[in-house]
Amino acid sequence: MLLVPSSTSRICCVVAKNHSKLFLKPTRRLSTPSGSGHEECDVVIVGGGPAGLALASALGSSQVVRENLRVALVEGGDLSKLRDWSPKSGAFSNRVSSLTNASQAFLQGVGAWDFVDAERTAPIEEMQVWDGISDARINFVAEDLGLTSEDGMARLTENFNLQRALLRHLNTFPQVELIDKTRVQTIVRDADDRGGWPLVQLDNGRTLRTRLLVGADGFNSPVRSYAQIPSFGWSYDTQAIVATLIHEPRGAFQSPNTTAYQRFLPTGPIAFLPLSATSSSLVWSTKPGLASALLASDPSVLAGLINAAFRLPEISLRYLHNRILQGHASGQVLTPAEIREEIFWREQSHSIDAHSAYSSSHAVAAIDAQGEQADAIEGKRFNNAGIPPEDAELFPPLVTSLLPGTVASFPLRFNHTETYIGEGSGSRTVLVGDAAHTVHPLAGQGLNLGLADVECLAKCIENALQQGGDIGSYTALMPYAQERYLKNHTVMSAIDKLHKIYTSTAEPVVWARSVGVEVLNELDTVKAALMLTAGAKQNQYNRNGASGEQQRPDAAMWEAAAKGVESVVAANNTVKVLGRGLAGMVGMGLYNLLKESGYAPPSTPSATSTNDRHANGSSNDSNGSVPPDSTQPRK
Amino acid sequence: MSLRRLYSTVNNAEIAHFSKLSAHWWDEHGEFAFLHKMNPARVQFIQQKLKEIHHDDHPGTPAPSNSLKGLDALDIGCGGGLLSESLARLGANTLGIDASESNISIASHHASHDPKLSRSLEYQHTTSESLLDHPKRYDIVCSMEVLEHVNNPALFLDTCAQLVKPGGHLFLSTIARTPLSDFLTIFLAEHVLRKVTVGTHTHSKFINSTELVSFFQKYPRSKPKTESGSSSGELSTSPSDTDTVPWISPHSPANEPMRTQAEIRGLIYNPLQANWYLAPRGAWAAAECNYLFWVRKPLV
Ligand SMILES: Cc1cc2nc3c(=O)[nH]c(=O)nc-3n(C[C@H](O)[C@H](O)[C@H](O)COP(=O)(O)OP(=O)(O)OC[C@H]3O[C@@H](n4cnc5c(N)ncnc54)[C@H](O)[C@@H]3O)c2cc1C
Repeated sequence: MLLVPSSTSRICCVVAKNHSKLFLKPTRRLSTPSGSGHEECDVVIVGGGPAGLALASALGSSQVVRENLRVALVEGGDLSKLRDWSPKSGAFSNRVSSLTNASQAFLQGVGAWDFVDAERTAPIEEMQVWDGISDARINFVAEDLGLTSEDGMARLTENFNLQRALLRHLNTFPQVELIDKTRVQTIVRDADDRGGWPLVQLDNGRTLRTRLLVGADGFNSPVRSYAQIPSFGWSYDTQAIVATLIHEPRGAFQSPNTTAYQRFLPTGPIAFLPLSATSSSLVWSTKPGLASALLASDPSVLAGLINAAFRLPEISLRYLHNRILQGHASGQVLTPAEIREEIFWREQSHSIDAHSAYSSSHAVAAIDAQGEQADAIEGKRFNNAGIPPEDAELFPPLVTSLLPGTVASFPLRFNHTETYIGEGSGSRTVLVGDAAHTVHPLAGQGLNLGLADVECLAKCIENALQQGGDIGSYTALMPYAQERYLKNHTVMSAIDKLHKIYTSTAEPVVWARSVGVEVLNELDTVKAALMLTAGAKQNQYNRNGASGEQQRPDAAMWEAAAKGVESVVAANNTVKVLGRGLAGMVGMGLYNLLKESGYAPPSTPSATSTNDRHANGSSNDSNGSVPPDSTQPRK
Repeated sequence: MSLRRLYSTVNNAEIAHFSKLSAHWWDEHGEFAFLHKMNPARVQFIQQKLKEIHHDDHPGTPAPSNSLKGLDALDIGCGGGLLSESLARLGANTLGIDASESNISIASHHASHDPKLSRSLEYQHTTSESLLDHPKRYDIVCSMEVLEHVNNPALFLDTCAQLVKPGGHLFLSTIARTPLSDFLTIFLAEHVLRKVTVGTHTHSKFINSTELVSFFQKYPRSKPKTESGSSSGELSTSPSDTDTVPWISPHSPANEPMRTQAEIRGLIYNPLQANWYLAPRGAWAAAECNYLFWVRKPLV
């Protein structure tokens, strides 16, 4: 990013002795470095993603902002396409976010939520989360958290649905200028003797001089480079495959499709997020090599592997994935028939009954048969007629196909900037959303963090305005960074540590997981982390709230979760030591304890055992983890 | 006008000191960081008071969302223009004055960056005494962190008071002369943390809130004689005129003046958030160090 001080036109600062006034002419600038005129703005938001649009919306909805500030948003893409987005009902986009109740409450307070097409959103009423190796499982329901099942723990919403709503909401505030199909080309700093305000040069020739420049411009934030804000992070060596899954509706004897499923595999978690009776969203985080092999596969092969990924023991999944990788490498891609055969054999080898919920090979067969023979093969179970297998609800509905055009993948990374506010030569800048932080999607928090940023920043701008402050000043923006930085960091580290624990292949950790030692701790943490996605409906966001000191209800819960994660890491280290020296007395004691409680010894990882003992979150006794009520929102 | 008059309440050594520092005024991380952080609390206090008085004066009518809009405001000792800019942004026709020429340069220069300020903000290099030569009086007169630096506080207060329109408001902020303030502002801030240049404050010049209240309980009085102003910082007052209404009823306790006449509010520093807050009304010991003072000029 260029940092060019513009040609200096010295301001004459005539100090009149005694009485004569010092004049303060509006020294309108006639030239910029490129020689064209510029426009004065108060807030320029770069980026029309969900975070940028939500900020524009929140600012537009504030009367004091509308009366005092000129706000403009610049987006490279075509926003009219989003505004006119009119998908067929039942055809869901592949970018879906679970919006917490806190995020919804914020959007409601702003007035944007009314524009969301509610028909296309779905509440998560229940969550099933389990460990891919030990099968230790927790499940929790909205009612347990004091939430109604209608509200659910979070609401799955297509990003487009949200963005369209924000744009429609913004239609009611013509004061907020939307400049789309226009990219920010360069950002330069105005001359020092003109205050060094940012000059935003657009590719349509316009230049905006702005009091405050907001970077809502995503991971590769140009605003962040202009502000020279360093960030730290790493790539996870993981791709997230997303797709819209098509499946049969749950049968009459089953609950509706409102349960989210997530299985933690050593290669990364795979999540099934319900959108409607027959559609759900997939987020499958896995190694890049496998991801590209999966993406190159026939969609029905991928569908079969998705079903298997939720059901088959980890050891067999590893085998299947190797087959896929080999096929991909050798150019001999597995056919749907071959994969069905493979899955069938794996099920056989684990003595999985074809009619149990653990079996998916029949569904694969049905998919493969593309309908012709499907009824003949396994019609009965497939149509969900009659009584489903007893354990049917341990797993998501069987996927029959993938909505064409929805399979995509994204690299996953952890990234957090060192600060959110630009200083020195990058002053009058602030970052929100993915421009400031990116997280692993395993807890569905990325966008929620961004919306919390936006909520806080909008309030901060409003407060500064009411106090006659300069909204671009560090003093005015500081409360934003103070409120958000640590909270985001806490959530992000918790998510990152969870990811690391689950994808660890280090012997002691895997051993510990296979025998369920850590799982006692971990799952509590997962539970806490995922419950946080719920937020709390009771503490409604109050837009006209007096002081702005009100905590977002999930903040306290995140702190609890972070503590839980810390204790897992501590426990993890203990386990490592124990794993190495089981001969030690303590080790033996633990070993015997484990044996007594029916866990398999470390030599024979219990890949096939379902650990019912942990069902329904019975593991909340473990040291230092989160007791169930501490995850309740605090007043 | 004579130079003697112009500088009569201004300590020359102090002017030189601040001129040296004025280049740092707008560095939000620099020496004046505390002023930047304090400013929102000051404005908050001003707005709260104006709203409250509006409510008293016009019961039943809703107070305007911005109580400063359209008022004539004077900021005495505006420094780099922190408060002046805020008042102007909130729509007050603001005049900022300072006895330091370089402060005025800094302030006007800074304001010229901001296209929003040109309409409502003006600076003058002058003193409050000089303004008395002009008929213009102000709805609100502010003087923040100035009182503890002037040579003759009684004369200074008298000048400020005279510049207020009847029914108008005087806002001051200063530091109390207490063991706590000695410790915090001189020992800690100047010597230990070195947040403020050594020599910025002189403890004997600090003024307690009760002293301000007593002053306005005996004010207005017969014209103070400039020559006799003592340099010790004591608020000596001459005998009151019998026919004038004092700004604060003489009978109210000095630590608790009548709400409609005057108010003292502490400014509390929260070291965890590195920020200043307006202490709740009547908070115990809140005015032991930095405090805000408001007094209203009687309508008649
Ligand atoms: C697989 C996956 C699943 C996810 N699931 C969830 C979930 O369940 N819940 C959740 O909360 N979050 C989730 N997230 C995260 C969420 O999608 C992101 O956090 C969110 O999209 C970030 O929004 P943003 O507005 O900050 O940035 P972006 O959406 O990246 O928007 C940035 C915008 O800036 C524009 N831009 C950039 N540079 C310029 C320029 N020079 N000029 C003009 N415009 C520019 C771009 O065009 C873009 O529109 C998920 C992410 C992934 C990858």
